[in-house]
Amino acid sequence: MTTTIPSAASVFAKLLRADLTTLWRNRRASLLVVLVPTVILISWKGLVPRFGGPFVLSNCVTVGLTAIGLMGYSNTLARDRDKGIFQRLRVAPAPKWTIMTSRLTVQLLMILITTAVLFIVGYKFDGITLTPMGYIGGLLISIVCGAVYLSLGQVIVGLVKNVETVNVVTRLVYFIFIMVGMFGELGMLGDQMKSAVHWSPYGTVKHIVSAAVDPATWNKDSTMALLVTLGYTLVFTTLGVKWFRWNTR
Amino acid sequence: MNNDNHTNHATPVLQVDSLNVYYGSFRAVNNVSFEVRPGEIFGLLGPNGAGKTSTLSAVEGLLKPQSGNIHVAGYSIREQPLYARANMGVQLQATSFQPELTITEIIQLYAGIYGVDLSKEQVASILANIKLQDAANKKYGQLSGGQQQRISLVIATIHDPQLVLLDEPTTGLDPQSRRQLWVRIEAMRDKGHGILLTTHSMEEAEAVCDRIAIIDHGRIIATDTPQSLIDSNRERPEVIQASRKGKITLEDVFIGLTGTEVRS
Repeated sequence: MTTTIPSAASVFAKLLRADLTTLWRNRRASLLVVLVPTVILISWKGLVPRFGGPFVLSNCVTVGLTAIGLMGYSNTLARDRDKGIFQRLRVAPAPKWTIMTSRLTVQLLMILITTAVLFIVGYKFDGITLTPMGYIGGLLISIVCGAVYLSLGQVIVGLVKNVETVNVVTRLVYFIFIMVGMFGELGMLGDQMKSAVHWSPYGTVKHIVSAAVDPATWNKDSTMALLVTLGYTLVFTTLGVKWFRWNTR
Repeated sequence: MNNDNHTNHATPVLQVDSLNVYYGSFRAVNNVSFEVRPGEIFGLLGPNGAGKTSTLSAVEGLLKPQSGNIHVAGYSIREQPLYARANMGVQLQATSFQPELTITEIIQLYAGIYGVDLSKEQVASILANIKLQDAANKKYGQLSGGQQQRISLVIATIHDPQLVLLDEPTTGLDPQSRRQLWVRIEAMRDKGHGILLTTHSMEEAEAVCDRIAIIDHGRIIATDTPQSLIDSNRERPEVIQASRKGKITLEDVFIGLTGTEVRS
C-alpha cells in the first residue's frame, strides 16, 4: 500500500487558518497590544510640532512592534509549548517549518494591522500626514523591524522554559526597552545613554521607521541602522532557533 | 482482553531494531528491539525511568536515537519521517489542543494535516459515534478527562493509521471510562490497527494486550503474551515473594523481574 501525504502548502494553510482563528478569539489581548502605542500616540500630540510627525509616529510604531514580538508572540509560544501543542503537531506529518511559519505569518499580520491603526490614529488625532510612499515604506519597514522583536522573543522562549517566567521576563524587557529607549533618545538619561540607545534594537528600529515614513530623510545613517537591524535579526534568529526546544519536559 | 487469535505474523507495522538512546553519557535505551504486528495490541511496561517514554519518543520521531532503526509501515522514521508519521496515530500522555479552538475545529485541523478533509456534518457524525455530539462547539478544556481521551483517540485514528501509539491512555480515568476506552482500543485492533501501548496498570496490560515487553534500565528483559509471562516466571523465587494473594499475577511477575525498589 502506498502512502500519500498532504502537501506542505496544504498543511500550512490548515495551520494558518487555525492560528488566525486563535488570533481572532484572542482579540482582546491583541487589542491591548495595539492600545498602548495608540494611547502614547494620542498623548504625544503636543510633541508633533516640536519633533515632527515622523518622530512621534516612529516611536509609537516601535513600541507596538516591541509589544507584538516580546509579549504577544513569545507568550503564546511558551504557553503552547508548555501545553504540549507543538509536540502533538510534531508527531503529525507536518513539516516543522510550517508550524513556525504559520505562527510568524499571524504575527506579521498583527504588525501590519498595528502599524495601519497607528497611521490612521496619527492622522485623525495628531494630524500627522505622510506621503503615499511614506505609508507604503512605513508598512514594509515595520515588517522588517518586527522581525527583530519576534526573533528576540524567540531567544527568550529558547532560554526560559517556564511560562510564567517567560511572561515576567518579556514584560521586564519590554518595559526596559520602552523606558530606556524613549527617555534615552530624548537625552534625558545622558549623552552616553543617548548614543547607546541610538544603536540599540529600539534605536535602530525607531530610526529606520522614522526615515521610512518620511522617505526624503533617508540617508547613510538610516542605511547603517537598517543593516544593524538586519544584523540583530540574524543574531537573534540564530540563537532563537539554536536554543528553542519544542517541549519543556 | 488478552486474545491470541488476533495476533498474526504479517509484516510488522512497527519494527524497532537495536535502538540506543543516550542523554549525555546516560544510556536511556539500550539495544532495544521489538515489533508490533497488524491487529495486535503490544504493551510496553516498565517502572518510571525504565526507558518507555524514550523508546516511544524515538518511535514518534520526537527524539533522535544515537543508533538503531525504526520502521513504521515500512518507512524509516529517520529517512522518511513524514511518510512514517502519516502511517502513525499518536495519543501523547501529556498533550493538549489549541485552547481557543472548538472541538469541531480541532478535529478538522488535525484531519486536514493528515490529508483528510472533513465537513462539519462529518465531524458531527464522528462525535455522535463517540457520544460527544454536544461537544462540537465546546473547547477542549471544557471536557472531562474521559471525554478528552475520547477526542484524543478519535484524532489519533482519524486517518486510519496502520500503527497507533497510546501513551498511558487511561491514566486518571474512572473505571467506567477506562473500560469504555479498552473496548475502543480492542475495536481498533479488530479493524487491523497495530497498537503500541504503554501503561503502569498491570490490570490493563493483562486485560487488553496480546503481547507485552517489560523494559527496565533501558533493556527489554522479557517479551511474551501476558499468560506466557506468568507461566514462565511463576516458579521464580522473587516472583513468588512478590505475590500477595497466593495467585501469581502479571504484577507479581513485573515486580519480580524489575524489583521492589521505588524508582524516581
